[in-house]
Amino acid sequence: MWLKYIASTKKEALLLLRDKAGLAMLFIMPMALVFIMSLLQDSTLKKLEEQNTPVIVINQDTGSFGKSIVEGLETAGFFIVSQQINGKTPSEEDLRQLVNEGKYRVGIIIRPGATEALRQKIKYRIKQQFPEEERKLLDLGAISDTTLPHVDVYFDPVTKSNFKHAVISALRQFSAGVVAEMVFDTYADLLNELVDIQLKQAGGFDEMIDFTQQYATPEKKNLIIPNSTQHNVPAWTIFAMFFIVIPLAGNIIHERESGLSMRLKTIPGSNLAVIMGKTTVYFIVGILQAGFMLLIGMYILPLFGMPMLRIGSGLFAFMIITVSVSLAASGYGILIGTIATTQEQSSIFGSISVVILAAIGGIWVPTFMMSGLMITVSRLSPLNWGLNGYYDIFLRSAGISDILHYVLLLLSFFLGCIFLSYLYNRYKKMKS
Amino acid sequence: MEENVIIEINGLTKWYKNAAKPAVDHLNLAIRKGEIFGLLGPNGAGKTTTISILSTQISDSEGKVTVNGLDLKKDADQIKKIIGIVPQDIALYPTLTAKENLDFFGHMYGLHGKALDDKIRQCMQDFGLEDRMDKKIKTFSGGMKRRVNLIAGILHNPRILILDEPTVGIDVQSKIVILEYLKNMNKNNGITIIYTSHLMEEAEQFCSQIAIIDEGRLIEKGNPAKLIEKYESCNNLEDIFLLLTGKRLRD
Ligand SMILES: Nc1ncnc2c1ncn2[C@@H]1O[C@H](COP(=O)(O)OP(=O)(O)OP(=O)(O)O)[C@@H](O)[C@H]1O
Ligand SMILES: [Mg+2]
Repeated sequence: MWLKYIASTKKEALLLLRDKAGLAMLFIMPMALVFIMSLLQDSTLKKLEEQNTPVIVINQDTGSFGKSIVEGLETAGFFIVSQQINGKTPSEEDLRQLVNEGKYRVGIIIRPGATEALRQKIKYRIKQQFPEEERKLLDLGAISDTTLPHVDVYFDPVTKSNFKHAVISALRQFSAGVVAEMVFDTYADLLNELVDIQLKQAGGFDEMIDFTQQYATPEKKNLIIPNSTQHNVPAWTIFAMFFIVIPLAGNIIHERESGLSMRLKTIPGSNLAVIMGKTTVYFIVGILQAGFMLLIGMYILPLFGMPMLRIGSGLFAFMIITVSVSLAASGYGILIGTIATTQEQSSIFGSISVVILAAIGGIWVPTFMMSGLMITVSRLSPLNWGLNGYYDIFLRSAGISDILHYVLLLLSFFLGCIFLSYLYNRYKKMKS
Repeated sequence: MEENVIIEINGLTKWYKNAAKPAVDHLNLAIRKGEIFGLLGPNGAGKTTTISILSTQISDSEGKVTVNGLDLKKDADQIKKIIGIVPQDIALYPTLTAKENLDFFGHMYGLHGKALDDKIRQCMQDFGLEDRMDKKIKTFSGGMKRRVNLIAGILHNPRILILDEPTVGIDVQSKIVILEYLKNMNKNNGITIIYTSHLMEEAEQFCSQIAIIDEGRLIEKGNPAKLIEKYESCNNLEDIFLLLTGKRLRD
């Protein structure tokens, strides 16, 4: 039996390797789809204003405030920050002119001593909190309330007002961390002075709150919103994995039409070996497809300015869900190959059914963009089970237990397909 | 049951789904060990249907068949081991080479290693295909495909070899190679051969026993020479067929 299984697996592998068109479809198609879809979605979903806005900055402040504004702008992802023009720090005059000409959308000048001014302001405010008679106990040095830290922001004259608001609130957000840090430091100094306790440095004020993006309709409460890479890579991988239905069902039908399966029927014990060989080879193809697409998401898409796919600690869960999707796809291929009577029937029915399952399963249009009823319908598609499993891994670094229900659904789908094929064959045998 | 009968067919009937009449109609036949048995008849006579039942590919509707004393329905797996089948259509993978095809079928029969390699090489040589081992089947001519199709059915040294029109569509040389090879197998190894054909002349020379069927029913059976003797007005099997059915054969 073992020998027969090996021989049959080898035969299927050779058949598939020699089917260049089939192979190209299985590996090139999902890659092309990921690129096209990611690019399309990136450009339609994101407003042009939001991405890659050129900003020129003159930072005359030497302290942490100026530094964190510049860093904030640089790491936000939708600004291109310049501090030098032709290797020189531009003058204020240059900056105003460049922004006026539209070469930069925003010009920012952080005035000298902004950090110090901010510190003074904070100390002053804190001092104000204490009752009048206690204030003289506090040695906070000479504090004046006169200077406010100063930042000038110039906009391209054509800028829309909500974009201006967005930039200003981004700047406020970048400075909030510094402010919080200074407040803590000042209190720490005071505590040290009053009761002689040494506090450690505080930090991480930028990430104190987790903003989870969700839609407000009740059915969508638990839907998570993937970025274009997190959606497209798993979506088209699953789609391509299910497309093995075409070569696999075609292969089964060719065997039946050409009398090969008749010959195999006369060889005792070969039936099971042949089916297992097929399942094995197409199962491995699915695994390879997923691995290939994972690499594309991790290393190739970022080269084209798209978000990078991060798998985090979910590699094992990724493997488990991939195995399940691949088995489900193989089972479906075997079922279609068993029931369809001609090549044409199987390739038409196979591809249309996969496209439909993909459409309702949120492969084309992500589920978070669907309406209530469609979301319920999407849960019927095995492609959706796989996709949700991948989302959980890529977006929530889910472990095995979190995706177990998807794995079980996919495996039952596989077993169901195999069982139906078996029943159908028995029924056919009885009828003939 | 006669002592050396290897296949016995009693009242065999096959109705295909939705057919107006049976493809095989109460057929009775007994084939003895070591015989070269020809199942002859025109297109649609029921030849392929009969041997498909014999080789366990399809089930019958009625009747009883025993092969080597085993019941076809109950002991199908036992029977499969001792029969070899060469189908009418080329049942090979076109994109695999001859060697890969034969390796696969050999393995499916549980053969492996040097024994299988030697057997494949020997057969390919016997059929003049030794230099085609590593060529893909789809690049073969019709006659070459037929020869490989035959080899795939004999790798496991079956005791009964069933061939469905093995000489259709090939040139005289190939035909002679194939028939000579089968004759030798029959003579040297005592293999029982059952073969179908609509070529009466070929069958007349090749077979030790024949059965003529038409529309699923047995018309006549016996040794070809004896039959020609029996029907005095006839010079060959073709004439007998015409006499008994009022029909001409194709070609
Ligand atoms: N799978 C099938 N389903 C329905 N009818 C069939 C099937 N196979 C054969 N038949 C019918 O059964 C009859 C016998 O066919 P069969 O193939 O056994 O003839 P044959 O003697 O082998 O003919 P040929 O010389 O053309 O190969 C024909 O009338 C045919 O139409
Ligand atoms: Mg036939």
